[in-house]
Amino acid sequence: MSSPLFDVWEAASASPYQPTVGKNSQFLIGSVLLFAAFILAGVFGLNRSFVNLSLLGVPASLAFGFGAVYMICAVGVYV
Amino acid sequence: MRSITLVASCLAALSSFVTAELNLSQPLRSKQVLSSAFKPPQVFKNANLVRTTNLDKAFPRETINVVIENIDTKPQSEYYLPFETSLISKVGGLEASDKKNPNLGAFKVEVVGFEEASSTEFYLIHLPKPLAPKEQQTLSITYSILSTLSPVPATIAQSEKQYVQYTFSAYTPSAYTTDKQKTKVKFPNGDIPDYTTLPADVNAENKADPQKQGSTFTYGPYEKIPAGAEQEVSVRYEFTKPLTHASLLERDIEVSHWGGNLAVEERYWLQNLGAKLKNHFSRVEWQKSSYMSPPTSALKALNLPLNPGALNPYFTDDIGNVSTSRFRPGKREALLELKPRYPVFGGWKYSFRVGWDANLSSYLRKVAGGDSYVLKVPFLEGPRQPEGIEYARVNLRVILPEGATNVKYSTVVPVIDSDTTLHRTFMDTIGRTTLSLTAINIVDDFRDRDLIVTYDYPWTAGFRKPVVITLGMFAIFATVWVVGSLDTSIGKKKTA
Repeated sequence: MSSPLFDVWEAASASPYQPTVGKNSQFLIGSVLLFAAFILAGVFGLNRSFVNLSLLGVPASLAFGFGAVYMICAVGVYV
Repeated sequence: MRSITLVASCLAALSSFVTAELNLSQPLRSKQVLSSAFKPPQVFKNANLVRTTNLDKAFPRETINVVIENIDTKPQSEYYLPFETSLISKVGGLEASDKKNPNLGAFKVEVVGFEEASSTEFYLIHLPKPLAPKEQQTLSITYSILSTLSPVPATIAQSEKQYVQYTFSAYTPSAYTTDKQKTKVKFPNGDIPDYTTLPADVNAENKADPQKQGSTFTYGPYEKIPAGAEQEVSVRYEFTKPLTHASLLERDIEVSHWGGNLAVEERYWLQNLGAKLKNHFSRVEWQKSSYMSPPTSALKALNLPLNPGALNPYFTDDIGNVSTSRFRPGKREALLELKPRYPVFGGWKYSFRVGWDANLSSYLRKVAGGDSYVLKVPFLEGPRQPEGIEYARVNLRVILPEGATNVKYSTVVPVIDSDTTLHRTFMDTIGRTTLSLTAINIVDDFRDRDLIVTYDYPWTAGFRKPVVITLGMFAIFATVWVVGSLDTSIGKKKTA
């Protein structure tokens, strides 16, 4: 079989897709990030100020965003 | 809300418009329509034709090897193959190639119809190189005919043998004069109680027609058969195996870049087209005979060979998990052995779903330079049965990550329709780009055909999911801060 797309497939044989975080470490990464988000949110809850909103809220949101994606993948819903 | 839907549908419409131009495998969506007075021009003749009908499986598989000769004065490249209108809708997987030069690959084949209802329709085979006058070429045409075997008798006892009847024309239907032809019929066994005999004077060698050799019958040879001539014959033979027919197979392949996973789910609507039960189903009789495992017309088990590396399989139906399944992972293939909840006898139906995961790295590659990816997956997996399985309709969806654009595909499976739409599911904002392909009248011989999909997926699009969740979370923090800093106390504010 020879078609242009098959040639593309053959040409890319050296670069199989590898995800940034492998399947085995998704749960660990996800839980660490979610735990970090939980702690940061807790500290923010104790002292709510505009400075803390950017100092704690932004990293907490980022940790929650990525942590949630990895945790959902780890439990089998591959988003 | 309405405006979001509008924008999304506009995007979907635009994306399908763009991709329609780019797809390399053209779907057979358009059907060439001819005026009712059309007759195929008599520019060819069949110098020699040998048709082999293989009845090993639950659907007849025809192979026509024909030496065609151009008898016109100009080079010709359009060869017509006629079918009755009632039959053409059952013909599946028709492929034509050059028998002596297989490197040319499969020729372009399309269905042509008539403006008004006609009793004959044609497959049109385009020869890649026009055939010069007086030149000859050997074509090899293969196809399967679905749901055409009829059980005779139509009802049998539970452990009785099943016999099926196949009716066809002893003269291979052709739009051209055939100088010499014969038809070989290969049966699965030697138990052939009934068959049509033709008078010896029809036969070119004045022999009894058909000639028998073990489980193979030969009708012919016949000489100088005019175009369109038919001679109906029937054969009835033992086939104590299920006639498994999938009226619909929905197959979803979901690509997840974040999870590094390829998820496959298949939903089957199966039916056994075999002889119906004469009496009620007897569980006692079934259980007694199951130790001996005699041949039966019921569908007892399905074996799905999966690619090595398949993980987490599941098998459910309308009730829930079906526990009678076994998964044998292996290095060369992973075998998923399924047993339906009940033996599926003639006329009975069973619908179920199976699914599994796989690591994406064996199916997806990154194209060097740029954000393009190329995906190679089997078009059809599904059960591998000795008696075969036929699919009336296969709806395949390749669900790509959210934000994938410029989707192109290529496959050698004859596809009748293709579309690029959006599929919305967990944690999606705009929906995932989905390539939908539809094929009809496919048999399990197409298991090993691949589907190659390429798409562009910029790294910015990949961050959509975590960024959306991050923004949502940050909005909560901001709201908490705003609400928390509101002064809701009653009474005068203390200024000091």
